[in-house]
Amino acid sequence: MKEKIQKINDYEWLLPKTAQEKMNVDAKIFANKAILDLIEDSAVGQLTNVACLPGIIEPVIGLPDMHFGYGLPMGAVSAFDSKEGVISAGLCGFDINCGINSIRTNLTFKEVNEKLKELVPALFNAIPCGVGSKGKLRLGYDELDNVMTHGLNWAVENGYGTKRDIEKTEENGCMPGADPSKVSDLAKKRGLPQLGTLGAGNHFLEIQKVSDIFDKEYAKKLGIVDKDQVLIMLHCGSRGLGHQIATDYLKIQERAVKKYNIWLPDRQLACAPVNSEEGQDYYKAMKCAVNYSFTNRLVMTQWIRETFERVFKKSWEDMDMQTVYAICHNVVKLDKIKGREYYVHRKGATRAFPELPVIVAGTMGTASYICKGTELALEKTFGSSCHGSGRAMSRNAALRQFRGEKVNDELRQKGIIGKAGNWKSFAEEAPGCYKDVEQVVDSVHNAGISLKVVRMKPLGVLKG
Amino acid sequence: MENYKFIEGLTSDVMFEAYGKNLEELFKNSALALSSVICDVKNVKKERSFSVDLKGSSTEDLMVNWLQEIIALVDTEEIFFSRFDITEISENNLKAKIYGEPISPEKAGVVVKGVTYYKLKIEKIRNNYKATISLDI
Repeated sequence: MKEKIQKINDYEWLLPKTAQEKMNVDAKIFANKAILDLIEDSAVGQLTNVACLPGIIEPVIGLPDMHFGYGLPMGAVSAFDSKEGVISAGLCGFDINCGINSIRTNLTFKEVNEKLKELVPALFNAIPCGVGSKGKLRLGYDELDNVMTHGLNWAVENGYGTKRDIEKTEENGCMPGADPSKVSDLAKKRGLPQLGTLGAGNHFLEIQKVSDIFDKEYAKKLGIVDKDQVLIMLHCGSRGLGHQIATDYLKIQERAVKKYNIWLPDRQLACAPVNSEEGQDYYKAMKCAVNYSFTNRLVMTQWIRETFERVFKKSWEDMDMQTVYAICHNVVKLDKIKGREYYVHRKGATRAFPELPVIVAGTMGTASYICKGTELALEKTFGSSCHGSGRAMSRNAALRQFRGEKVNDELRQKGIIGKAGNWKSFAEEAPGCYKDVEQVVDSVHNAGISLKVVRMKPLGVLKG
Repeated sequence: MENYKFIEGLTSDVMFEAYGKNLEELFKNSALALSSVICDVKNVKKERSFSVDLKGSSTEDLMVNWLQEIIALVDTEEIFFSRFDITEISENNLKAKIYGEPISPEKAGVVVKGVTYYKLKIEKIRNNYKATISLDI
């Protein structure tokens, strides 16, 4: 499939709709040449599959962190007409509102580095991580409904975070229109014990130090002023609740595909017409998972603040531990772009609206970035950018190539303290499994879809 | 014949093949493969048991429902599973008793988010069955 790619410029590549017989629109990949060469041929083929869906708006977008997924690549954006298009549980994926919170501090590298050996285990005790961990919060069903309906408003009312956190979260931490009656009992049962848990896989909590500031004025607006300033990054999602909602609606939409006679090139791209019951019910249930996930991250943010208070003997307000920004990765939203409404499906992709922060996670051994969205992103990518560095190696291959203990030793030699539920996850998430984040961010920066603001280096990493 | 093996095919996720002389073995071995991702399946004791009774519109659908049920039970009952006794099985029906012990970080693997339809296949090759299954991690 890659042989059909045509160069538009050094950072944009066209996959014309002639590439596959049933494509309705073109696809475009935003990447520099080094990154383009790393993208699997099969992942490019998956973009062409999405281009076959009804009501798809040109173009289907591949971002530089894209890699082969199930159905469509991670690191992809597809927008659908708000009347003629589809809403797809498959295109959103299993971890609804997997996302990132960035939290700042006014602590310096020196202050934190001195306490890092105390801080990392303290955080590990405060934040339940991994499949074997148990959550500390036990909700009742009524309260869970409130979390799903009200998102961060529930969190703040219950002592987790403040109104400032709400203002610094995408959608103000609550997608309106969430309807818990569209969520199965099983999904709710899975969600009850898991609010305030990190999960596993690529989810993490990282202590970082600012290494470069590219846009001083914008960084200052985010409260980032010093090169040695310490930030915190929290990456996780909607846990079993979101996974079950995705599972339930993949089945419902698979039946819808037959009912509405939709031709699919891949069964995993299950979807339903936007105004059908199967489409709108999913949208309402998905919003429940989105709001749960925002809450999940803010609950843990508050526990991180309390842990810092214990270690540094100062209040979190005195340490200025405010949310820099909190964003979604896997989500469907009815976005208004250039005067038109689209159902934008971002899977492993971040919103990149003008002047709003974009957070790009690196690996546990490499840098992460805060960027800002642009007008050009609205024109070219439905206001979207990359979400991370993107895997380049499978988990299976990683386990053959890396040993968790050795990965941890190598991190220690770089001054990074790591802690994980088990070493296997360190091997699976080794920095060598991912693309070079510098090349990925170079791609979005030079393509103009999000511009570099701050670069951060890891100091301490917790993995599930 | 081995019970299951992990294969290449998904960059971020996990794909495996499971084998069996009959559907009973195939479903048991698929569950063991799934469980080996979630926990240290060889060292998980058979302290508690749960009954499972499922339907599916096809063998593939039944397989997705079966594995999905195990994933959900790990969350709702907070149990790691290591033994799967299929007591009754047809193309559309499955009854089983499954055994495990309470979750603990010492025996944890990774969270499986879901069973995907990607390249999902159950084949009968001569007198043996093979299932190809991918998991979202």
